Amino acid sequence: MGALLSILIYGRQCLNSFYAKLTSQGPQTRLLTFCFRNLFRRKIRTALCILGVVIAVTFVIAVGATTMRYTAVLQEMNVLFNGQAIVVSKDAIIIQAIPISGGMLPQNSTLEKIRSVQGVSEAIPVLFVTSAGPQPLAQPVPVNFTMGIPVEDWNLILGPTPLRQNGRFPTNDSVNEVVAGASIADQYSWTVGTEMQVNGYTLRVSGILDTKMALLNRCVIMPLSLAQNVYNYPQSVNIIAVKPVQNMAQQNLTETIKEKIDYVDALTETQRNDIIQPILEQVQTWTVGIEAVTFIISLILVMTVTVMNVSERRRDFATLDAMGAPMSYAFRIVIVETLLMGVLGGVIGIAFGSLTAIVLASLYTNIPLAMFFPSILEIVPPLYMLEIFAAVVSVCCGGGIIPAINAMRMRIAEVLRAEY
Amino acid sequence: MKIRTVNLTRLFRVGSSEIAAVKAVNLEINDPKLIAIMGPSGSGKSTLLNLIGLNDHPTSGEIFIDDADTSQLSNRARRKIRGTRMGFVFQTFNLFPTLNALENVELPMALINEPQEEQKHRAMKLLEMMGLAHRHNHRPKQLSMGEMQRVAIARALANKPEIIIADEPTGELDSKTAKDIISLLQDINKQQKTTVLVATHDERIIDAADLVYTLQDGKLKLQN
Repeated sequence: MGALLSILIYGRQCLNSFYAKLTSQGPQTRLLTFCFRNLFRRKIRTALCILGVVIAVTFVIAVGATTMRYTAVLQEMNVLFNGQAIVVSKDAIIIQAIPISGGMLPQNSTLEKIRSVQGVSEAIPVLFVTSAGPQPLAQPVPVNFTMGIPVEDWNLILGPTPLRQNGRFPTNDSVNEVVAGASIADQYSWTVGTEMQVNGYTLRVSGILDTKMALLNRCVIMPLSLAQNVYNYPQSVNIIAVKPVQNMAQQNLTETIKEKIDYVDALTETQRNDIIQPILEQVQTWTVGIEAVTFIISLILVMTVTVMNVSERRRDFATLDAMGAPMSYAFRIVIVETLLMGVLGGVIGIAFGSLTAIVLASLYTNIPLAMFFPSILEIVPPLYMLEIFAAVVSVCCGGGIIPAINAMRMRIAEVLRAEY
Repeated sequence: MKIRTVNLTRLFRVGSSEIAAVKAVNLEINDPKLIAIMGPSGSGKSTLLNLIGLNDHPTSGEIFIDDADTSQLSNRARRKIRGTRMGFVFQTFNLFPTLNALENVELPMALINEPQEEQKHRAMKLLEMMGLAHRHNHRPKQLSMGEMQRVAIARALANKPEIIIADEPTGELDSKTAKDIISLLQDINKQQKTTVLVATHDERIIDAADLVYTLQDGKLKLQN
């Protein structure tokens, strides 16, 4: 009891000392207090300026984070087929390795032809469907997927992807077993053993993938034959992943496949990246452009407000000069004031921006908002928040430079003369 | 502090013509006296005070402080003199509206990095001297005009200056408060041996001043 009391007393002393330090009138604290009060003297103007910065930061964070998220997902789409060429129907439209529309390939005949090409080590048929789950969802952007892969080839596509506790991958004997991504499983409250009806088939969840990959998180993976039955694509696939033998260049292999089979297109990993790269670069350029314009508008806003603040306080700055204050003092006052606006606007803007980013993600994907909260730092990475915070604080300080130089040059003789 | 001006002139360009606000002024201040500079509005009183207070540069002529030519001083040195050896009192008080009375008086000390405890102690003492200790926590807008001017005088005294330069210190005050302020400036001069240089057109200061100068069209004359 005595020890607890001592701890409480010590804690209170620490708090008091911290508060005393915080409110003490040391040179830096005095400047900070002075600037805070100056800003609060013009409450509405300061609030409107901060609101402007908040809106700008919210917009930048929301646009930036959303773009980053989709860029990351697009880049991830190639990861499953690392080191493999892919063969798709000639009229297929693909993003990275994933066909989003276009024709199907007859499974057996195409596989046979590919396997006969010299240099092919493995050829794995995959059926990729942009749908999953028990009920059809409106998907403005496809977010739920089904992959059908022959059971014996799962490790070639999924690699060493772990499963959540008690889960297991389907075996050759499985009739209706599937594994589901964690995100889709959490959304529909699936656990190991859950049964669901899809297109008249009863599917049983045998495992839940434990991975950070966005694509796999939203995927239901099942044996190829089961996927073909459920989605009514008998003996058809839309991707064939081709693994070359050692020392065989993917480029040579794809050229040969295209020569031999006239209804397919074959793409190496580099070619797939090359298709998406210009789009990603354009998206990146537009995002940077939007951010730059937004920050320039913020800079003009902060500069306008600060010019007004400084011109209204000409006498104060001139009095400081008459009192022998160093020239840098007036400069520091103005810069600290803009810095405070930047810090406040930045912090509130980042909070609102992060919230907006997950609301947007939820709206576009139809995934409940609550599911995004735990992964908010994945959607808006802390480093990105820090970057934007540094940028907005710099922009606000930048907006204060010209008014600060004006404040620094104010002389009492001139100010008094101007007043008369 | 010895101040001497030699042929001090300050011209202002207005449009295409030049106006001499101060014309060849020769003034010598040696002992701590209460000196009044009288003259109507626009006669150049404030300009002369700004020149002597090193807030402005003369067009021609020199200002010597302790026999050193101030035209040779760097801006930093001029600031140092203003901050440590001079105190300024303005007609419109020029208090910082976001600081309370105590903080306003502490500010000149903070600018020369006086220890924090010393700032507070001396500022409180000065406010006590002005009869405003009980108002130390009040902001300028919560004070009367007379109280504001007394805070401004306390602020001017903060760094123990050798000269107080007061530009129309009673200009905004009613007659009773003006009388109090004049008497306060007189006390400061007598008790603290501080030179007080006052620009005014308040006739009451004539009785209190040791020396009275008149400034007419930029020319300074000693009045008997």
